[in-house]
Amino acid sequence: MTGKPAKPKPRPAPESLPYWEAAKEHRLALPQCEDCEQFWFPPSRNCPHCLSMKSAFKTVSGRGKVFSFVTFHRVYRPAFAEDVPYVVALVELDEGPRLLTNILGIAPEEVRCEMPVEVVFDDYDADVSIPKFKPVSA
Amino acid sequence: MNAFSQTPLIEPSRELRDTCAIVGTATSRLGKVPGTSALDLMIEAIRNALDDAGLKASDVDGVLCRGPDDSYSHHQLVAERLGVNARFSTTLTNGGASQIMSVALAVMAIRFGLANTVVCGFARDTWSRTHANEEVRVRNETRPDSMLASDFAPEYGYFGATAAHAFGATRHMHLYGTTRDQFGEIAVAFREHALRNPQAQMKKPLTIEDYHAGRLIVAPFGIYDCSLRSDAAGAVIVTSAARAKDLRQPPVLIKGFGTHNNTRGWFADDNMVVTAAKQAGEAAYRMAGLGPQDVDTAQIYDCFTYMVLTQLEDYGFCKKGEGGPFVASGALRLGGALPCNTSGGQLSESHCEGMLQIVEGVRQMRHTYPQHRQVKDAEVALISGHGGNQVCHSTLILGRA
Repeated sequence: MTGKPAKPKPRPAPESLPYWEAAKEHRLALPQCEDCEQFWFPPSRNCPHCLSMKSAFKTVSGRGKVFSFVTFHRVYRPAFAEDVPYVVALVELDEGPRLLTNILGIAPEEVRCEMPVEVVFDDYDADVSIPKFKPVSA
Repeated sequence: MNAFSQTPLIEPSRELRDTCAIVGTATSRLGKVPGTSALDLMIEAIRNALDDAGLKASDVDGVLCRGPDDSYSHHQLVAERLGVNARFSTTLTNGGASQIMSVALAVMAIRFGLANTVVCGFARDTWSRTHANEEVRVRNETRPDSMLASDFAPEYGYFGATAAHAFGATRHMHLYGTTRDQFGEIAVAFREHALRNPQAQMKKPLTIEDYHAGRLIVAPFGIYDCSLRSDAAGAVIVTSAARAKDLRQPPVLIKGFGTHNNTRGWFADDNMVVTAAKQAGEAAYRMAGLGPQDVDTAQIYDCFTYMVLTQLEDYGFCKKGEGGPFVASGALRLGGALPCNTSGGQLSESHCEGMLQIVEGVRQMRHTYPQHRQVKDAEVALISGHGGNQVCHSTLILGRA
């Protein structure tokens, strides 16, 4: 055994590949319906609002608010042993969709529902960057 | 979605009210039962339930049983072990909502002549799977990457049902000022009930101080907010109300049931604070011709403390947002306004994905418990089932004949 255990690396399904390609360029991009113009997440082939099959990934604001959050104290996988306690949050983007993420740059006990946050990018390696969020600085 | 699709034109379910009864019920050994499989435990519970009803396996022509999620076509294995060819047999896959749905399906099958006597059951061997030995324990704690979601969860360190439900608890605390003291009262009340139940897995008293001293798992949940890992099975035998009159036990009537599924997702809309118990409960009340004021005891799916609190609101036992003060009043205790999970629930009796809630509801309706376990003069029991990535729900209302 050498080194620390690796954290899980995203394994994109074909429909979420454009999301991860945008993230690599430090852009947050979500599928938007070309018929009803609504955004959704997670990516899927059809628009869950109107069932249209016509959509394109579009860069969004990267701003939103914490809808809810939890703080992991238990180590479910050894790769996270040095991170506990850490926050996993459900962020509601200004464009509507909600996504799971981590909140960085703030102590877990300071995180609140409705707190404004913005996206930052955590580079996993040369090929993968993971969208995370931090509080919007006042 | 439109109003038309949401509102049935007629209420045919009312015609099913009181047409069927539960005539036998039992559990297997509960808790830590090393050396048995889920299937062994299922057969043990069914044998006990048949004995309870005064029936033989050859009387069974319907099998609606479910086992661990990796058990293919579980009902078929059960029927094979019972030595019967079943006219009506299947396994539902709505997680903890499946067990009440199987009772509902049994009623429909009996009403429309597809079966006469149906066994509904669930079995799991979760304690043995996770504790058999150190190697097994570690393997369960560190699952291979291939068993995780591919993306949008594990890269953030997001794992497990505890975290999923904890999101709802945080949101409820934010909206309504709900506290961990109030969650703790649920754990403490159900433990007190478990101490009256010799079968219960948990044997030691739990105080609110113990609750707060418990280690945090995924905050706001600590260890005592979480249900147990159990080896457990339960079964009920369903037949027509007419036939039930000739059997050994006082029949317990199936007065109402309902289901709803917030399949847009746990994280969508307000689903984590207003669960599908709302619509499932309304459907069950309509079928039964009853309301929350008529319910004498509630057996609520308690995978986590918070889920009891929010379901009590969704079922109309108190207003949305008032679940915290409601449970803090002591309402859930035996002798309280709404005795709840009177055998200890999944938090303290054993976790059998809602099946033991059904068993306990039936037993309370029979009035055969000693005084310290019986809900006095109970005529109506409401039972809930919840599962399937937090969005599937089912409700059962039982009553004395």
